[in-house]
Amino acid sequence: MSKTSQDISTNRTLQNQSYFKRIFTEVLTHWTARIGFGWIAILVIIAVFAPFLASSHPLLMSQQGQWSSPILAHLTPADATILAAFIAGLVLFFLKIRFLTKLAILLSVIFVSGLISSFTITPPELTIYEQYRENQSAQKYDWVVYAPVPYSPKDYLRDYGDTGLENPLADQDRTHWAGTEENGADVLSRMIHASRIALGIGFVATGIAMLIGIFIGGIMGYFSGVADMIGMRLVEIFEAIPTLFLLLTFVAFFGRSLYIMMIIIGITSWPGYARFVRAEFLRLREQEFVQSAIACGLPLRSILFRHILPNGIAPILVAASFGVASAILAEATLSFLGLGLVDDPSWGQMLNQAVQSATFNWWMAAFPGGAIFLTVFAYNLIGETMRDAIDPYVKKTTN
Amino acid sequence: MLLEVKNLRTHLQTGNTIVKAVDDVSFTINKGETYCLVGESGSGKSISALSIIQLLPSDIASHPSGQIHFDYRHSDGDIEQVDMLQLADSRKRAIRGSRIAMIFQEPMTSLNPVYTIGDQIIEALQLHDANLDYQTARARAIEALAQVQIPSPEERVDEYPHRLSGGQRQRVMIAMAMACEPDLLIADEPTTALDVTVQAEILRLMQELQQRRGMGILFITHDFGVVAKMAHRLGVMRLGKIVEEGPLSKLLHSPQHEYTKQLIAALPENLARKRSITSAHETHPQTAELSDQPPLLELKNVKVYFPIKKGVLKRIVGYVKAVDDVTFNIRKGRILALVGESGCGKTTLGRAIIRLINPTAGTIAIEGQDITGLSAKQMLPFRRKMQIIFQDPMSSLNPRLSIAATLTEPMAVHHIGQSKDERIDMAREILKQVQLDPDYLWRYPHEFSGGQRQRIGIARALVLNPKFIVCDEITSALDVSVQAEVLQLLLQLQRDHDLTLLFITHNIGVVEFVSDEMAVMYDGKIVEHGSTHQVSNQPRHEYTRKLLAAVPRVPLNSN
Repeated sequence: MSKTSQDISTNRTLQNQSYFKRIFTEVLTHWTARIGFGWIAILVIIAVFAPFLASSHPLLMSQQGQWSSPILAHLTPADATILAAFIAGLVLFFLKIRFLTKLAILLSVIFVSGLISSFTITPPELTIYEQYRENQSAQKYDWVVYAPVPYSPKDYLRDYGDTGLENPLADQDRTHWAGTEENGADVLSRMIHASRIALGIGFVATGIAMLIGIFIGGIMGYFSGVADMIGMRLVEIFEAIPTLFLLLTFVAFFGRSLYIMMIIIGITSWPGYARFVRAEFLRLREQEFVQSAIACGLPLRSILFRHILPNGIAPILVAASFGVASAILAEATLSFLGLGLVDDPSWGQMLNQAVQSATFNWWMAAFPGGAIFLTVFAYNLIGETMRDAIDPYVKKTTN
Repeated sequence: MLLEVKNLRTHLQTGNTIVKAVDDVSFTINKGETYCLVGESGSGKSISALSIIQLLPSDIASHPSGQIHFDYRHSDGDIEQVDMLQLADSRKRAIRGSRIAMIFQEPMTSLNPVYTIGDQIIEALQLHDANLDYQTARARAIEALAQVQIPSPEERVDEYPHRLSGGQRQRVMIAMAMACEPDLLIADEPTTALDVTVQAEILRLMQELQQRRGMGILFITHDFGVVAKMAHRLGVMRLGKIVEEGPLSKLLHSPQHEYTKQLIAALPENLARKRSITSAHETHPQTAELSDQPPLLELKNVKVYFPIKKGVLKRIVGYVKAVDDVTFNIRKGRILALVGESGCGKTTLGRAIIRLINPTAGTIAIEGQDITGLSAKQMLPFRRKMQIIFQDPMSSLNPRLSIAATLTEPMAVHHIGQSKDERIDMAREILKQVQLDPDYLWRYPHEFSGGQRQRIGIARALVLNPKFIVCDEITSALDVSVQAEVLQLLLQLQRDHDLTLLFITHNIGVVEFVSDEMAVMYDGKIVEHGSTHQVSNQPRHEYTRKLLAAVPRVPLNSN
């Protein structure tokens, strides 16, 4: 008896939630999606706190009674912005305000903190990674606290002489959990810092694509007619562009830049979203609640963004989840081909190093390859469960 | 006895919950008899039928108890009594289609679009009689089509399903079911998706076939008019149980069970009688006054054409004349019913009147002001005066917005109420008027039943305090008892708010209950317009006569 009444009450709370909450809880009941979200969460935390996790700069040290934190002195404006955005996001997640307001606040926090930090924070231009180790062996410090991985991604260990590719844990003096790469830098440290690029390119490129796609697709779907015809031709033109070759061309002409990569992946992958949005808008426009919104004389803005878009957004989010995965893969491919960033670490570039030297260096392939695989896999898992959660037909058969 | 169902229980498993869809049902069908199962949606009547023919997926459906005895006639003429629940799958298959056949509700999707109708009948024939060669099978298919009165069956046998109308497809479905000469035909709402005139033809055809073949029919429907026409005996189902069973006239005229009484009382025909008794004394003097009222809505030569475009250059090669030269007025406080079959343009006209579709030509004037050709901004003050209520309670509310948001947003746009709190209070008031709990404001549409949603739809139309409302088939998706409640509520509100209604429907019973005037629409044109009493009793136009004759009616009790 008590069990049934409990069932009813849980049912009741489930029903009272808004649609997105329901979808989210539905998604989270699947353990595959939990794994996906778990891995992405770990990755986000690693990416945000990368400078504190892997750096040659000590977290805290005392020199002749004087305390200092070299790591804080060497933070870049980008590091500061990411930290600010993360904290703002965490706070906003628990606030009970509308999603759009949250998004607006988050974007403005990113913009303002980016602006402020780029003017106020100026890390020293010349960084000598070896100084701490040399000073420590000369016993100049009272005590030092290092990061868990005490090597920066670009610390080529010059003080140890001519280092190069080394197996994991091959050297007695130093601990490299994942070995070193061809220049002697610590692979684990480079992987930790590379997670930023992987996540960044995924989110930003997909964000750009979604914005353009929703805008153009919405216009096509709602107004149809001539707007639809022009829009569809535009979609077809952009679908005909091979992203990878456009990227190669741009890299050849304008040099290597992460931002150009993000933008190009973004503006070549919007047609898929536009098609989704168009189809949803065409379908929803004829729905009776939209018709009655028009009959009530509601303004176009409200009809488009309050009545149509939220009802059509779910399939777009599914597509976005797969889109993030493919953007990460595109960047990895480019880096693997040796056209990625020059000096900054990225998972694809490390894979490239794995096959370049005469011998096969398994640790250079296994760790970054595994990271790419897990990340893409996680996004695909999330996408799959979301698709099942929003699809009423699938739900009927699985339940 | 052809079929005997004894203590049948069917349990459906969804997730961790078990639904007792059919709960201890017993009935019998004799040869040459039509047994009707009547009930509202979700009462388990379709599941009973599917249990008999054993078409339920075995992984979700189980039969904890029950027997389904069927007289299985072997091809050599021997009759063996079998229990459908105990048979092996291969024997079930042999019976299914050949001795028990089934036709479904939706003729549009029950034929395979990539095969000709002939191929589909021949396949069924050859499946049950492996010795049949193609030529004989084809001849029998043509014969079957001729039997269901498809014109020139020799040519139509090679036709693809999309070339046939809904009624013809249902005939083909019947032909397929009849091809193997079954002893029992199960018809699951076979005419619900069809227009009344087509429905009348199909029902007549089924009766003829039954007389010729002497087969038993299990007929499932929610429409008492159809029941009255078809049934010899009937069973009323509710929540998986048969609450009352008996011969047709006994159940219609002296129902014993409370639920049967309720159902019969909820029929619009019976509601109409109640109203006309009262209106004879009260409203008649008023109608004389009302006729002096100026027209609220005037339509003059309204046309809505949709261009047909062809070729690369999208040249306009013709027009679909959805609404073709319609002229009428509705006086203030009146209810005009617009009647017609599907595709006659009644919905298009309703939407054109409140400018959801722009009319191609003509003028639509409300309170003397022409609203055709106004821009969206100029339309805004008129939007307040005219509202619409839709048919489908599932899609007429935005699933992402709470009821409060749905009701208060239009008020804010039209500057009704000073603050958000005031608007919320007004919304509570309106929910009370449509007989819903004011606290429903904070719920989302998926938490409500169809009838409740339809009330919320009415509430949304009322928040702007309109003068004129288009009701587009608002009760056709509802069960009879819910329909009765919604109609009575609507009439109540119409009197309280002095509303003028355009009531679009295909249900003549509802028209006679609800409306003062009645307009019959056919092929985009109004063919007859007059007072409801006059049109329904002395129709002048030929089409109106045909339409009214086709309506299945429940013979009403004289006392």
